[in-house]
Formats: sequence, C-alpha cells, structure tokens
Amino acid sequence: MPPLTDARKKSLRREMEQLLGPGSVLSDPEELLVYESDGLTLFRALADFVVFPRSAEQVSALVKLANREGLPFVARGAGTGLSGGCLPAEGGLVISLMRMNRVLEVDYDNQLAVVEPGLVNLHLSWAVGPQGFYYAPDPSSQQACTIGGNIANNSGGPHTLKYGVTTNHVLGLEVVMPDGELLWLGGKTRDPHGYDLVGLFVGSEGTFGIATKIVVRILKKPQAVKTVLAVFGHVDQASEAVSAIIARGLVPAAMEMIDHLTIQAVEDAFGCGYPRDAAAALLIELDGLAAGMEAQAERVLAACRDCGAREVRAARDEAERQLLWKGRKSAFGAFGRISPAYMVMDGVIPRTKLPYVLGRVNAIAAAHGLRVGNVFHAGDGNLHPNILYDPRKPGEEARVVAAGAEILKVCADVGGSISGEHGIGLEKADYMPFIFSEADLACMRQVKDAFNPDGRCNPGKIFPNNKACVEVGPAYRPHPIEEKGLAQRF
Amino acid sequence: MPSLLPDKLRTVVGAPHVLTGVECSPYAIEGRAPEAVVFPGTKEEVAAVLQLAAEAALPVTPWGGGTKMAMGSPPSRVGLVLGLGRMNRILEHEPGDLTVTVEAGLTLEALQSALGARGQWLSLDPAAPERATLGGILASNASGPRRHLYGTARDLVIGLTVVMADGSVVRGGGKVVKNVAGYDLPKLYIGSCGTLGVLVETTLKLRPRPDVDRLVVTHFNRLKDAGLAARAVLSSDLIPSALELADGEALRALGHGGGAGLLIGLDGIAEQVDWAIAELTRLLAPLGLGESTVLDGEARDRAWRDLARLGRPGTEHGSAVMKWAVLPAQAADLMDAGAAAAQRNGLGAALTAHAGVGIVTAILSGGLDTNAVVATLTEWRALVGGAGGQAMVEWAPLAVKERVAVWDTPGPTLRVMRRIKERLDPRSILNPGRFVGGI
Repeated sequence: MPPLTDARKKSLRREMEQLLGPGSVLSDPEELLVYESDGLTLFRALADFVVFPRSAEQVSALVKLANREGLPFVARGAGTGLSGGCLPAEGGLVISLMRMNRVLEVDYDNQLAVVEPGLVNLHLSWAVGPQGFYYAPDPSSQQACTIGGNIANNSGGPHTLKYGVTTNHVLGLEVVMPDGELLWLGGKTRDPHGYDLVGLFVGSEGTFGIATKIVVRILKKPQAVKTVLAVFGHVDQASEAVSAIIARGLVPAAMEMIDHLTIQAVEDAFGCGYPRDAAAALLIELDGLAAGMEAQAERVLAACRDCGAREVRAARDEAERQLLWKGRKSAFGAFGRISPAYMVMDGVIPRTKLPYVLGRVNAIAAAHGLRVGNVFHAGDGNLHPNILYDPRKPGEEARVVAAGAEILKVCADVGGSISGEHGIGLEKADYMPFIFSEADLACMRQVKDAFNPDGRCNPGKIFPNNKACVEVGPAYRPHPIEEKGLAQRF
Repeated sequence: MPSLLPDKLRTVVGAPHVLTGVECSPYAIEGRAPEAVVFPGTKEEVAAVLQLAAEAALPVTPWGGGTKMAMGSPPSRVGLVLGLGRMNRILEHEPGDLTVTVEAGLTLEALQSALGARGQWLSLDPAAPERATLGGILASNASGPRRHLYGTARDLVIGLTVVMADGSVVRGGGKVVKNVAGYDLPKLYIGSCGTLGVLVETTLKLRPRPDVDRLVVTHFNRLKDAGLAARAVLSSDLIPSALELADGEALRALGHGGGAGLLIGLDGIAEQVDWAIAELTRLLAPLGLGESTVLDGEARDRAWRDLARLGRPGTEHGSAVMKWAVLPAQAADLMDAGAAAAQRNGLGAALTAHAGVGIVTAILSGGLDTNAVVATLTEWRALVGGAGGQAMVEWAPLAVKERVAVWDTPGPTLRVMRRIKERLDPRSILNPGRFVGGI
C-alpha cells in the first residue's frame, strides 16, 4: 500500500479527533518518535498516528476505521516490552491504551478484579493491598508495565516459580477483535464452555485483537515471608543449590540468581548489600503460613551450605528484604552504569542444565569479545544473559546479535525455549525454527488466521521471515538496522 | 464404510489391534457402535490412521479410558474409535526439573504411582484415576478438589503433541516450565473434547509430594452455614489444598449423615498442617461448627474417592449430572435453590462444590420420569444463567439430552471457535457434533 498522502492524513486525523476528542491523536513526526520502539531499541519503526482512546467503544471504532482504510494497527501499553512486539508496521496506527487505566471493580468475596488494559501492574496491587490482597504476576518492570501488555506477552516475574505467569491469573477478557467486533472471552466464572480462547489470547502478542477489559484473580497476601541470600564462590555451586532445594521438596516463591558482574553493577549503582567478590548469589524467597516457616528456611539454608555456599543469611527485617529485592529488580538499570548499552536475552532451559548452559553462555560471549551479566529466574530455568556493548563501536552490535542467537540455540538444543517471558516479537521471529517445526508453525498460522485473517492487527510479529503470512501494510522497506546487515539474521 | 478400510487399518497397526463388527459394541458412543475400533501403538500410527480416515471421510473419536465418553452432545456421526490405551509410556521424567513427558494413553494412577516412587506427584485429582488417561483428562479438562490450590490442566500442561486431522504431527508449548514462544496451543487443546486433534503426548509440571496431607470433614446444620464457613476460610490466612461444600444428600452418600459439610484439604509440612487444623477449629467454631473429623491415609483417600464417585454416571445416584460454574460466593445459595427445584419436580438431588472456584456438581437421582429430569435441568440452567454462570449437562440419558442442550447457548465467541475448527479440521472428521455450538 502506498504511504498516505498529506491530505489523507489530515482528514483521517480530523476524523479520529472527532471520535476521541481533542488531544488524543498524534501525527507530528517529532511526537511519533517517542513511539518508534519499545524497550528493545534495536528496532525502530514510525507509525502514521498514535491514538489514545478512553473506552472499548473508541478502540473498536478505531479498529474499524483502520480496516476501512486498509491500515495496520498495533496496541501499545507502557512500551516496556523487550522484543519489539508493540512496534508499528511502517505506517498505520499505534493504539495507546495508557488512558484506559482504571480499576473498574474489585470483588474481594470472589477474589477477582476487573481492570482496564492501561493499568500499571503494580497499581493493581496498590489498589487491593489495603484489604490484604495483591496481584501475583510481578515482572521486574511492574512499576511501569501495564496489565494489557502483560496479557499480550503472558508476562512472568520472579514469583512465577510458585504462583505461575499471567495466563494462570486471567479469567476473562473483553476484546476488540481485529475486525472491530467487541466481545467477551471467558468472564468471571471458571471453565467457560468451548475452546479456551482466553488461554489462547494471553501471550498472542497483540496479534489476536486488543483487550479492553481484563478480569484477573487477586490473591490473599501470604501471612509470612522469608527471604534468604546465599553467596557462592563458584557459579556452578549456585546452580546446583537450585536443584538441591527442589530436591528437598520445597517450591520457594522465588529463586533468583545474580552473577559476579551483575553484583558489581548493582553494588556500584545502589549498594544493596551483596558481597562484591561473590561469583554468584541466590536470592530465595519463601512465603505462606508463619507456622513451619523457620523449618523450611532451615531446609533451604542446609541445601545451600551442602552445595558449598560460603555465606547464607536470612533478611533480618522488611527493610533488608526490600534492599535485596531492589538489587535484583534494578539490575537491568544498573547495567546502564557500566555499559552504554546492553541486550537482554530470555532463554529457558530445564533447570538441571543450568551449570552447562551458563558455562556456554559465558564462553559464547567471550568468543565474541563481549561481557555478559546474568541475572535471572533460576528456579524456572529462565535465563536473562545481558550482553553489554557499545553501539558506537563499529560491528559491536552485530556481534551482540550473533552471540544472542548462539545462546538461544544452546537453550533450544538442551530442550528449552527461546523466550520465557519477553515474547518473540520482531526480535526472535527468525529463531522460531530453533524450537518449532514447519507443521507447528503452520498450525499457529491457522489459528492466527481464525482471529486475524487480514493480518492487519500487529503485522510482522512472531512468525519467521513473514514469508508465508500475507500481511497487508506498506511495501517492505528495510529497517535501518537491516540495512546495516543486523536485522535479517539466519 | 468402504470394505477395504479395516484391512488398511490392520496393515497400519497390526491385525490384533483392530476391532470390527460386534467386537465394537463396548465402544458405543451414546448407544451407537463405531464401525471399527483401532489401537495404534505410536504417534506415527495415529497419523496414518487419521490419514486413512480422512481419505474415507470417516469421523474419528479419540478414546482414552472411556470415563468421559458420555460428555458432550450426541455425535452427529460415529465412524472410527481411536483407542490410545497402548500408548501408555512415561517418555521422560527428570525429577530435578519437576517435569514429566508421557504418552496420552497412560492412566493417571499409573503416572502417580511412578512419580510417587520419586517423591513427586501431578497435582491433578479427577475422578476414576485408575481408568482416566492423561489424554482424556486433558481433552475433557477434568479436575478434582485440589484444583482449589493447584489449578487445572491449563495450569499444569507445558507441552502437547497432537496429531491433526490431516495426519500432521504438531507440537505446542515445550518441555520447560516457563515458555512464551509462539501461541499457547496447549490451552487450545485442553478441554477441546477431541474436536481439533488427537492428543498423543504431553509434558506436565510436577510438584514435590507434601510431607503431610490431611482431610478435615466439618459438619454444619445448614448448607448456608457451611457456605459461610467456606467464605471465612477463603478470607483467612489458611491455604487449603481443597475446599469442598457438600449438601446433606452428598454427605449421606459419603456415610457422614445429614446437615451439610465443608471438606478441607490441608497439606504441607507437619507444623503447617497442625497449625492449620487448630486455626480451622478456632475460625469455624463461632460459625456453627458441629462435629469435625481429621482423616489421613486410606480413610482420607476413600473419602475423596467417594466424593468423586458421586458425580460419575452409572452410579445409583446418577439420573443426570450437571456442572455449574458460578461465582464462589454464590455457590451455597444456588445449591440450596437447586435442591429445592429438584424437590418440586419430585426428584432427589445431591450437590457438591469446589467452593473456592465456584464449580458445582449437581447430581439428580430417582429420575425415571424423563419429564421431571428435563424440567429440573432446565430450571437449573435458568437458575445458574440468571446468576451470570454457566451450566453444562455432564451426563444424562440420551432421551434427556435430546430435549436439553448439553452446553449453554453459545455467545458471539462461537464465530471464533467455528473459524478455528474450520481451519484445523476442515472436513470436520474429529469427534463431530459433540462440542459447543455443534462443533
């Protein structure tokens, strides 16, 4: 499709402003720049419009307008995604849901809440906290990321080890389908009749439509929490401790690993009390009843000591606990202090393969002349190698991308996955064949076709090369990164 | 049926694994015997059988342990029954990863016993584990009381391998506990009643077996009181593994007398369970708690088994069974209203509920009079629908199913479901007619 003419743009802008009210449509290239990428700045693309609806009906009207005009569209939350999943196709609409950010209903008796997609994840826990409840999925970006974005990516977080990821907490969704129809999938009650469309929609990375209301479970806050820090002289010991804890019949709420480089970055930035000379630290959290908590903590401490931990201690109070968690949750930000840029990988492996794979990750980075910091959900086997680099150095970005691909291949080869919580988006689409066959992908394309037959809803994501998914949208133009030879990989 | 087909099937799976003629009668579906029953031994054989069926345009009904074959609308056509009983191996169990990969025809009991030997279990407890297979449990989305804490199949399945209608083999998900690569196909197949593909393998998340596992049976005078007790437990610090409401009739069937009951599962380490039992008594005493019994070991298992058996077709209680999905806080009141409706129609009813998630099993008994059964089920559906819930006839005689829809009238989402079905099974040969909206 040819680019919109200026005259057409103006008239569409007028039409959308009438629909949404003044101040709800951006089309000035300067303003659009803010929306050209998400948390992964490797990819950039400019929309024709960024629009800010306030209701499901407005979203539906926008989607119908986009269909009428043959324009691609994509929903966007806070833009904290890490796979380029909410990038616009070149041109078309970015539908920002940031003005739909209300908690619509909280039903404590039935332990559920109805929220709008633009609600910030942590704000839901704040809203229900005074009554002793919280929303369990806690991505590290939870102070900024939205529940709608969590739906798109089926986001996880440290506490998913015990409590599951987003999909385990969503009961129902009001969605605007890719053709503009507004309908409910699931609802407030369990086991809805028919196919599990809620389960299918969560994690579909915005390619099945736009969620406009979300029914989530809220959980009672646990009576007691115990946070333990275990410090190791070797990374392998920390990896073994993860399995040893599981082998003792415990499923902690969270079990996070932080390696030497990351500890240094975190201590430089925030001073959270991690020993600087440690090769690795495990942050282990138990929660539940107060009764038996000490006994469980003893089991954890014993497992860590048996694996050679040089120091184990429980957080003495809530302040120390918060400080330890701050170190973990701010690690990504801390990398910014020691490197101009970094790229975070999101591979998953069977947790028993941790020692082998961590060794390979470090070897691959070293072979490419790069530094890597590991901070990740060890209990789930969900790795986050952060490859540090300087984009101003010629060729370095290309080496990062190559090393990233090799790391994901290692994850796939040990029976793992190429994404645990960040999504495939644009970034990993070409790596899908690492773990899925042609037949697997063909089945997924059929399912996509059932929701999104015209492909206008978030085109170009998830599937490798886009070769078999016929997307509408502008003629293919190489992205600047691609022109540099970076984006078209393998 | 084309006369050559049985021979072709025998070539694929071996002559002893194909049944025809009168041998097929034990595999009748809603009274209609299939034209052949075939038992493949590998997923490749499943694929070959499906290709043959597709060529002959013959419907295929997957069959695990046969415990849920009465679920769903009567099929529009019956052709081949595809039995998965020979595919019953554990393919991979790495205890350190807390995952297991199994073939679909493995029974739940066989799996639990193998896992138990390594100190682990699959936290799913549907009825009839000695017969129910993993494939069947997933396809019918069967669950039990412990879903209260541990969720259902959708929370435990991390990977699935399916043979599609055209014989292609498709894998969704993977073998790791956290995975967002690609669409979540396992969710689509769970509860799809065999209408989208034949499940042949699955990878599941496991849990360590708790040190202690007890069942506390508490008695109340009225269901209303037991319902309030359930809500008190839900808003307390307690973390029960199961929370079951049982009305007087259901309690009687468990050999526990009348009134009403709340059955609370408690597991974990000894200190936790001991504290929880004491806390329960403290919490429920002011709410009219009568007698209370703590069960362990065989007595505990028997009580859970008896409770599950209540809702199984073919027992003396079963004139019809309906499953309701309602808001948890409404469960007790709706159960009372449901029992009253049965009584007005001259029938007996026993009702139980997974109180924390609002899933009610309503069992109608003494129903020789089809009109009364039809009238009661219709009233129940209206009652549940009026409260914003859903009602499904889980089991009923054919004469009743001909007059009462199995599933609620589907809403606008049916369009999406039909589109999925049309794309994945374009000739509609997989278990046709049994699912929502005639899918």
